Amino acid sequence: MDGTAYAPGRARAARRPLLDHRARSRLTAWVLGTLTVGFLLYQWLPILTLSLLSFSGPTGGTTFPMNGVSLHWYRELWDASIMNDFKPPLGRSFVLAIACAVTTCLLSVASAQAMRGRFRGQGLFFYLILLGIMAPGLLVGFGFALVCRILGIETAWNTTAFLVHVSWTLPFGFLTMLAIFNRFDPKLEEAALTLGASRWTAFRRITLPIVLPGVIGSLLFGFSLSYDEFARSMFTTGADITLPLAVMAQLDRQLTPELFAIGAATTVTSLLAILACTFALWGLRRAQRR
Amino acid sequence: MSSIRPGSPAAYWLALPATLWMMAAVVVPVGMIVWVSFWGGRAFSPDSPLSLDNYQRFFANRTYLALVLETLRHTATMMLICGVLGYCIAYFLVVKVRSPGWRTVLFLAFVIPFWTSALIRAIAWVPFLGVNGVINQALLATGLAEKPVEVFLYSRTGISMAQVSLYTLMASGPVVYMLAQIPPALLEAAMTLKAEPVTVFRRVIFPLTLPGVVIGQVLVFLNVMADFATVQTIGGNKIALLPNLVINFYEGAQIRAAAVVAVLLMLCMLAGVAAALRVVDVRRLGAT
Amino acid sequence: MDRLPQLDLEIRSLRKRYGGFTAVDGVSLQVGKGQFVCLLGPSGCGKTTTLRCVAGLEEPDGGDILIGGREVTRDPPWRRDIAMMFQDFALFPHMTVARQVGFGLEMLRKPRAEIAARVAEVLAAFEITALADRKPASLSGGQRQRVALARAMITEPRILLLDEPIGALDYSLRETVMIELKQLQRRVGISFIWVTHDQNEAFSLGDHVVVMNHARIEQQGAPEDILHRPRTPFVAGFVQGNNSFHGRIAGAEGGMLRIAGEAGSFLVPGASRAPGSAASFSVRAERIGPAAAAHANRLAVRCVTVEYFGSIRRYILERAGGALLKLDQFGAEPAWLRQGEAAEIGWAAEDCVLHAVPEEAAPASSAAPAREVVPA
Repeated sequence: MDGTAYAPGRARAARRPLLDHRARSRLTAWVLGTLTVGFLLYQWLPILTLSLLSFSGPTGGTTFPMNGVSLHWYRELWDASIMNDFKPPLGRSFVLAIACAVTTCLLSVASAQAMRGRFRGQGLFFYLILLGIMAPGLLVGFGFALVCRILGIETAWNTTAFLVHVSWTLPFGFLTMLAIFNRFDPKLEEAALTLGASRWTAFRRITLPIVLPGVIGSLLFGFSLSYDEFARSMFTTGADITLPLAVMAQLDRQLTPELFAIGAATTVTSLLAILACTFALWGLRRAQRR
Repeated sequence: MSSIRPGSPAAYWLALPATLWMMAAVVVPVGMIVWVSFWGGRAFSPDSPLSLDNYQRFFANRTYLALVLETLRHTATMMLICGVLGYCIAYFLVVKVRSPGWRTVLFLAFVIPFWTSALIRAIAWVPFLGVNGVINQALLATGLAEKPVEVFLYSRTGISMAQVSLYTLMASGPVVYMLAQIPPALLEAAMTLKAEPVTVFRRVIFPLTLPGVVIGQVLVFLNVMADFATVQTIGGNKIALLPNLVINFYEGAQIRAAAVVAVLLMLCMLAGVAAALRVVDVRRLGAT
Repeated sequence: MDRLPQLDLEIRSLRKRYGGFTAVDGVSLQVGKGQFVCLLGPSGCGKTTTLRCVAGLEEPDGGDILIGGREVTRDPPWRRDIAMMFQDFALFPHMTVARQVGFGLEMLRKPRAEIAARVAEVLAAFEITALADRKPASLSGGQRQRVALARAMITEPRILLLDEPIGALDYSLRETVMIELKQLQRRVGISFIWVTHDQNEAFSLGDHVVVMNHARIEQQGAPEDILHRPRTPFVAGFVQGNNSFHGRIAGAEGGMLRIAGEAGSFLVPGASRAPGSAASFSVRAERIGPAAAAHANRLAVRCVTVEYFGSIRRYILERAGGALLKLDQFGAEPAWLRQGEAAEIGWAAEDCVLHAVPEEAAPASSAAPAREVVPA
């Protein structure tokens, strides 16, 4: 190699493209950025339109023009007729979601803790739980309906639907807890044990407070996934239906801005729930650091 | 040493409730579908003789076979669109957005709709897609179309449009995770070894995110294959894919036919997942 | 100007800022053909940023970078005649060792056969032929280091940039690797620019050592130069084995300066400076001994502790005022002081090194406490 010859640089220089690398990088960023923002709009526009249309006047339809601005459809939702009274389904969905959240939380903490125990067959156990995510709701619900029919079990939202819902929410809580336990330093527990704590005390006083974000996460998953679940509910709920089923039933009858009102209300509710949980987590972390 | 001793019986006790739960709610029902699909005769009874009649009847009908192919084609299209779009978005979020503040804002903007009910989000597309829908109104207002376009609501296009917005993030998420795992030094090392950005992407970034791509594809595949709700909401009763056939048979009290379709759906999914697991085999990743 | 092509690297008043933080502030450096240069300094001093600017991984805000006489300041990394070794080696986890090592040649679009032959050759030279089909995850630290080196060297770059290249290795391996790298550099004759915070590495490897602090070069030169003639209090304090003193010029005596500070009044060689101006100087620990007739400078101390390293014995001494000093004695000689004993020490005026730049911020009259009491 002599002082000046640098072959690759020269070879490249000969077929250097129109734009230099900085311009190309910026161009890529712009193209991808436009795509991303475009997709965001694409995702948000329907939801925003739905929310907007839910405020349309009494004569407003399911599309523009809105024919005035009113709370008519929300009022309609409140003093509903027997045919489309959404309040009982809403109550059922809410209770069911709470029950699922608590159960998911307990089961996923227990299951994740069991995984830390390294027992024989834990690989199988892991895949068994993961099956809950992989198996589509349609198949699980349909299969469960068959089981109920053969065994002569009456399906109801607070028995069979609960059982099936948890099989869907549990894997999410379980994976969350596994991820959190992955980052958990077992030396902390060892320290507690050497200080004279029993295993149970060490778990309760040391482990649990540290993995609390995961616990809250599993609660959140349990609630939100159960609250929105449709396919599994369809086969396992029986006569007293939950909110998504009621919404679908109403959609089958007639699409009215009332459905938009429900949609807007639930969207805002889940938004608030996420914000509340985020703040709770944030506050918790700060409190723990002090 | 930890709060649970390796191999201790406590682990079995802790794992037992979840095991029983999943067996009762997932494994037994799925097994039941397979069993019922082989029931011969006409009665709904466990005493039915086992036979292949149900399958023969299904495969004898060309319409149903076409529907299987149609479902697979639709799913493949969705995988392609969601995969490409999802990768672009993931790449932009992780690589191109430098400021942590903006990244959080964008991240939240993506996640919030994801947490809201898929059913509501599907319904939200209805006012958009109708003959008098928002899209048509926009097209007419801007003069891009002379008269309302009818391809959106109750059509495959409309279903695809809604599903893209529902499932792209599933393709994106795992890629975001994998991209964020790549140490920047790897890209810098490639650059100092004379690799231009395109080459760095092709030889380093993409191979390292491949597991994320595959997992995302599996998620999209499973969800689109089984998504009857969006099809029903937007397609009305005019469009049906394989999962809707299960519902139709079920509601028409043709339980055994429904079971057959469900088993076929299951087989397609298993085949897809198995193929995907083959691709993400970590040992083969280096052979780029 | 005829000497320019002879330089492998020239940096002219390089500047780089990150927001409000100045990472590199007017760094200039010349590296001749086949030189081994070490950038030494505490973390955050700008040495790594300087290296990354040379690699093209950071874009400087000002200044020029010339590699082999060619201006490359704005060029991307892939158009520079360099290779780089990263702190954690940055091996591609998805490529086999052979693929990894051949990557650079692939990027130069060499024919397959040629790449295969060169890779085999280089793997053999680095004694890693047996690892050819392994992935990085299954390699030990030492093996990774060899692979990373082979990967960087195969394209025969003009300059190899090394960012703390042995920091990720086990302590026991470092010595061996250092010797190997030095021999390699001598043999192939390409320039090495080695960034480290470890002065043992810098002084035993570098032909030329550049000490950096707060985004600037404090001093550069041969290792002996820096060890024995520190230009600034920072260098004196950073480099092992120096005792620094601060004070003010009290006057001139027989061609020497008298500097008076809190520790006392000392005679130091140097050109005359304005009386009353701040001044600092340092004395190496091995130049101090029990007070003797030849010693122009003396100090009463008490022994705090004695450290024995085999080749030397180091006394940590406390003077009036509480500041600590170091005194080195050959290890083979009998111990001179024990812990707790008081003594008078002294050193010749000629052994003092007057700092060209006294520390502005330093208190006017206090001997700087020994920066590093225990050698690393």
